[in-house]
Amino acid sequence: MAWLGGGLTATAANNSGVRSPRFFATQIQPLLTESCLKCHSREKHKGDLDLEQFSSVDAMRKEPRIWEEVASQVQSGEMPPRDSKTPSGAQRREFLAGVNAFLDDVAKSVAGDPGPVLLRRLSNAEYTYTVRDLTGVPSLDPVREFPADGASGEGFMNVGNSLVMSPSLISKYLDAAKEIAGHAILVPDGIRFSPHTSTRDWTDDLLSEIRALYREYTDPQGGDMVNLQGIVFSTNEGGRLPLEKYLLATFELRDKSRGTAADIDAVAKRQNLSPKYLALLFNRLRSTEASFLLDPMRAHWKTAGRTNVAALVNEVVPWQKALWKFSSVGHIGKAGGPKAWMEPVTPLVSRQELRLKLAPTNATQPVTVFLVVGNAGDGSDHDIAVWQKPRLVVKGRPDINLRDVPTVPQSNAGQLQALNPQRFGHNLDGTPSDPDDLVVQAPSVVSVRIPADLAAGAELVATGKLASGSGDEGSVQFQILTNQPTSGLALLETGATVSDAPGPWTSDRRRMTFASPIVVNDSSAARQRLDSAMGEFRQLFPAALCYTKIVPVDEVVTLTLFYREDDQLSRLMLDETQKRRLDRLWYELHFVTRDALTTLDGFEQLWQFATQDADPKVFEPLREPLKQKAAAFREVLTNSQPRHLDAVLAFANKAYRRPLSESEKLELRSLYERLRKEELSHEDAIRLTLARVFVAPAFLYHAETPFPGSRQGPVSSTELASRLSYLFWSSTPDDQLMAATEQDNLLNPVTLRRQTRRLMQDARVRRMATEFACAWLHIYNFNESGEKSERQFPTFPQLRGAMYEETVRFFTDFFQRDGSILEILDGDSTFLNEALARHYAIPGVAGEEWRRVDGIHRYGRGGVLGQASVLAQNSGASRTSPILRGNWISEVLLGEKLPRPPKDVPRLPEEEATAGLTMRELTERHSRDPRCAGCHVRIDAMGFSLESFDAIGRRRDHDLGNRVLDTRVKVMDGSEFEGADGLRQYLLNQRRDAFVQQFCRKLLGYALGRSVQLSDRPLLAEMRRRLAGNHYQVTAAIDVIVNSRQFREIRGRDFASAE
Amino acid sequence: MNLHQFNRRTFLRGVGVSMALPWMESLPVWGDTSPASRPGSDAPVRMAVLFSGNGFHSQEWWAKGDGRQMELGKVLAPLNDFKSKLLFIRGLYNAEALKGNIHSSQTGNLLSGAPLASGGEIRSGTSVDQLLAQKCGQSTKVPSLVLGCEKSNPSVHKNYSMIYSSHISWSSPTTPTPLEIYPALAFDRLFKDGASRGDKSVLDAVISDASDLRRRISRNDQRKLDEYLDSVRDVELRLDSANKKGELQGWRPTLSKPNIPRPPEGIPQDIGEHMRLMADILVLGFQTDTTRITTLKLNNDHSSLRFPNLGVDYMIHHLLSHSDTADWLKVNQFFIEQVAYIARKLDSIQEGSRTLLDNTMMLFCSSMMSGNHNNDQLPVVVVGGGGGRIQGGRVLDYKDKPERQMCRLFLSLMDKMNVRPPQFGDASKPLDEV
Repeated sequence: MAWLGGGLTATAANNSGVRSPRFFATQIQPLLTESCLKCHSREKHKGDLDLEQFSSVDAMRKEPRIWEEVASQVQSGEMPPRDSKTPSGAQRREFLAGVNAFLDDVAKSVAGDPGPVLLRRLSNAEYTYTVRDLTGVPSLDPVREFPADGASGEGFMNVGNSLVMSPSLISKYLDAAKEIAGHAILVPDGIRFSPHTSTRDWTDDLLSEIRALYREYTDPQGGDMVNLQGIVFSTNEGGRLPLEKYLLATFELRDKSRGTAADIDAVAKRQNLSPKYLALLFNRLRSTEASFLLDPMRAHWKTAGRTNVAALVNEVVPWQKALWKFSSVGHIGKAGGPKAWMEPVTPLVSRQELRLKLAPTNATQPVTVFLVVGNAGDGSDHDIAVWQKPRLVVKGRPDINLRDVPTVPQSNAGQLQALNPQRFGHNLDGTPSDPDDLVVQAPSVVSVRIPADLAAGAELVATGKLASGSGDEGSVQFQILTNQPTSGLALLETGATVSDAPGPWTSDRRRMTFASPIVVNDSSAARQRLDSAMGEFRQLFPAALCYTKIVPVDEVVTLTLFYREDDQLSRLMLDETQKRRLDRLWYELHFVTRDALTTLDGFEQLWQFATQDADPKVFEPLREPLKQKAAAFREVLTNSQPRHLDAVLAFANKAYRRPLSESEKLELRSLYERLRKEELSHEDAIRLTLARVFVAPAFLYHAETPFPGSRQGPVSSTELASRLSYLFWSSTPDDQLMAATEQDNLLNPVTLRRQTRRLMQDARVRRMATEFACAWLHIYNFNESGEKSERQFPTFPQLRGAMYEETVRFFTDFFQRDGSILEILDGDSTFLNEALARHYAIPGVAGEEWRRVDGIHRYGRGGVLGQASVLAQNSGASRTSPILRGNWISEVLLGEKLPRPPKDVPRLPEEEATAGLTMRELTERHSRDPRCAGCHVRIDAMGFSLESFDAIGRRRDHDLGNRVLDTRVKVMDGSEFEGADGLRQYLLNQRRDAFVQQFCRKLLGYALGRSVQLSDRPLLAEMRRRLAGNHYQVTAAIDVIVNSRQFREIRGRDFASAE
Repeated sequence: MNLHQFNRRTFLRGVGVSMALPWMESLPVWGDTSPASRPGSDAPVRMAVLFSGNGFHSQEWWAKGDGRQMELGKVLAPLNDFKSKLLFIRGLYNAEALKGNIHSSQTGNLLSGAPLASGGEIRSGTSVDQLLAQKCGQSTKVPSLVLGCEKSNPSVHKNYSMIYSSHISWSSPTTPTPLEIYPALAFDRLFKDGASRGDKSVLDAVISDASDLRRRISRNDQRKLDEYLDSVRDVELRLDSANKKGELQGWRPTLSKPNIPRPPEGIPQDIGEHMRLMADILVLGFQTDTTRITTLKLNNDHSSLRFPNLGVDYMIHHLLSHSDTADWLKVNQFFIEQVAYIARKLDSIQEGSRTLLDNTMMLFCSSMMSGNHNNDQLPVVVVGGGGGRIQGGRVLDYKDKPERQMCRLFLSLMDKMNVRPPQFGDASKPLDEV
């Protein structure tokens, strides 16, 4: 079949011959007269075809379309019919060569015609992708209940005449537009889109984004349980400083780096830590500058490793507890209430009440207690402490001063001194003091043995303070212990206890006490020194970084809808970008929820509630600020309204894929005004104006301005941008492409080429894989196919999605990589996940995720012929179909035009398993019928070679009836080969021209959105030539197209009438 | 028929719109010219067209005898109860459909007899149901319903777009009428009064857009844009009239609002369930007089449907229809059962002295006689009395007669609804016997 497809390439040289006077008589007339005119005469004109009218090339020129059809029919063998006088192969070749030379000649004279590209509506796919790209919401599926689009032109869904409009469709577009507009969130400075449509969901989205940001640098653990009228929750859970992770990182920096800023950044990046905090912590730990609270820990840090990181953390935690107080946040700001969720506290006092319940073990054994004074870790100078009036207190009995208690004698040992009653009543220098007081020099431990009868039921009570002469620098810590202290008497953890008192509000009930506060004189130097040391510690180790709950539920009636406290996080962890993002999210949260307004309403309710069983006056300080906030928010609302309208205009600009005209802008604004007059709210009016954009013809149609007059001319750069983006992405140009249209840069071949490459490498080219490649291969939406017998192929429904995905990924990768189009026939790699790999019996692919798999030839796969989507699509529901497969190769891959099937097609059995013969044997018998043989001789053999794949694309040696399969074939042109590998080689070598021609034709038809026509012949030839010269890389063909007059120009406005 | 005697608007009005009028308020708006619904007149004549693709079992599509003595082949057995209201017509054909000899080329012009364009073009002719909708659809809230049970296939087959395979209703020669395949949306189209505030202003605005755009584009494109423009105007017209109060005139339907719930969203998994819901909606549209013209395409020609519910677990096209097996018969009967189901429901609704079935003409046909693509005669059955103007219980045989165009039957059916174009497709006179 050497002449098949050959006419296009072989005869171009004869063009000059077409002009020669003898051309018609020698090339055309002989076969015309002999084989055609019998039926297609002026008189008979069978099939409305009169070929007798053609008596010269000039006459032929008037009807090139008829001659295209003649060429096609003669080439396919449909004409002349077998019963007429059959011409010899040579006659046929001669005639075809002549007709093709003639057609090439005509084509040359009209080459570059952009063609009749009828006004195109966005196809359902284009509309969907455009909406998704414009809104940035990939979950939108506005066409899910639209009627499916049809195909036209070269078999694609982007051709004007198959994209119809009807009133019912307009209604659907209107509904869809409103639905899309429902996804618009109005934010203070414009509009953005969300996957959701309700304020509630938008709020949840924002909250989870904020929380995600919080979670990135905080520890979700920790928290104190609170019981609120039977509801138990933790008030300060989450948002903790994840100290352990950071300490471990500091070890690494300490041991394995020079500790430069770059080292710190690297470690932080590797371990997902905040570089900012890691640097701060590391520098503080390695600093030699003295720090009262930090020094002990710093000493340990120097030698600590992974094993004692917990111990190190435990040195920090007790102080975090002592230096911070958590409150409920529901009433922050009320009189006498908390000012923040986490407030600093300072365990420093000028006097301390001490109490210890004495519990004698039996009636005769005296009780020993120890009165302990430590020096608070800062040396003992000036640390002169007073136990003021220590006494035994028993309810219903006068107090007994310790001085008067007949204590049991005991001996002194080191610092430990037995109490000597003589020591009461005078200062260390011997001068008299209060007679009931005991003055000691810290550190000091005084042990007291109290007889059992006095101790029973008694409490030892004392007040601790500094002696009047201790001056500016004194700082001590008092304790009454029942066991002798074992450790030194340096700085003690102050201890902190939080307790609940009764009362209606959580915020009033929480009390914090310290077991061992540091006793210093008010406004002394010691106090200032300790204050600042504690402040420094707080700044480095805040107990929590942020309030992750955000929505407080810690009061019966809360005033705050969303509570933000994340200043520690911002200060310690976040960089400027992250801070801005956090601020932005909070800003939007307040805007979307309008909590400034609702809180004011809530305030009135709280007031009412509080009058019932508490004093509402404490809430008075909140009233004015809330009012002011609400008023300020109303102003923000009002100010944002024009911005929303501006945003709609800016959006329309993108949606229309070109700049709006002034009158269009005006019209959009006036529509908004009109809708407001119809009493739609601002939000509804904005959304409906937005919806209007989605129904506008400028959005729904690829409207291009024709060139003035009747001649063709270039489209504008914005129109060219759209042509490009719809070719590669089935969607709107992105900002970058639009930017390239400025000053008509895009018309510059270098820019055009750069953009073409960029578009092809973008992930969105996946859409070209479905809309072009899968549509061409007739497997569009194969994943929705339900055409397999569930009994025979129960795994098919689970696999069809993966089968389709393989092909889609194959082509996406092909475009992105600029692959050779020959890979479509025999590529040695594909994309698989475990399920599909198992289906193919290809080992070594584990897991659901998709990956590229190379070297698949050795598993009998390669190119689309080895893909289950293609093999299954061209099979029956319960058996293979060599006819369908062969026909698919012939028509779809090679672009052959087969004659139509005869009437009264004989039948084949449905079931492969139960039929007596193999499918090949059955098909061969069927095809021996002379009425059928004409076609089947072309297609069946190619189909037989694929019989080693079953109806869902699995490899097999036997058919379902367990018969051995024979895949050796001899095809029509005499070539012989075996199996799928042989078929691939055959197509790749003997049939390459036909395949390349078909690919070019389909690609061109898709790119132009119309049928390929005669005037495209030179362009197709150029595409083939460039492919052959560039290793068949697809961009060679694509570059020819995007630079062609067809692609870059448009017919003149009056072309139709001129035609 | 000369297509130019109607303006474009009229063509498009044939397409059902979902934002339709509240029930029965539309009459005074367009003026009601159809004599069938003059005050005090009888119940109107309704027309339903049902279609299934790929023809039928070649040995079992037959009928013989008259009236109660009529015998039906196995395919038609489900219609046994309706023999006296049934017209079996043999031998009609569509000359233009003989040309392509492939599914799509036999289906896209089934209801118009028009030539089909191949190559990149899409052109058929206005179909009989849509012509009727354009001529008398104004009498009801929804001019016509066009329903289907299978999505269309987006490809080009043997040079003919598969649009032809999935569309038998055409609002104009270049506008295949989109099929509604979602039961819930079909229900909404009949009964949802969806005009909401602001819609009218939005439509006004886009009409003005389109008018501006129209001035800038080429003549061919203008024609395409007119599809849009007319569609929007049509929707808007209905919104306008939704606000006006009309007076009820003439005959009153037996049901004023739906007596079945709105079907669930989505497409039922079970094909039987899907068809049943569409059949219910068809009956409901007629019973409430929300529409008088409904086309229900049970499947596509070149269909991909399977029938696991019947134990026939493979696709019917090729592997099933190209044979005369028991399975194929089962599938044929399944389609006829849908026709019988509708007939039974219509016949159970009394409208004055007649049943709704008596006031309906339900045409059931396919694009070919059997799975071999032979369409030199088409399988045709008409069930129902056409308002007492069609006498059932007869077998009409045109096989060996001249002038056996399918379009003659269409002229006959249109005549029952008082629409009498001088020419339709390739015919200019109705079948006398019908």
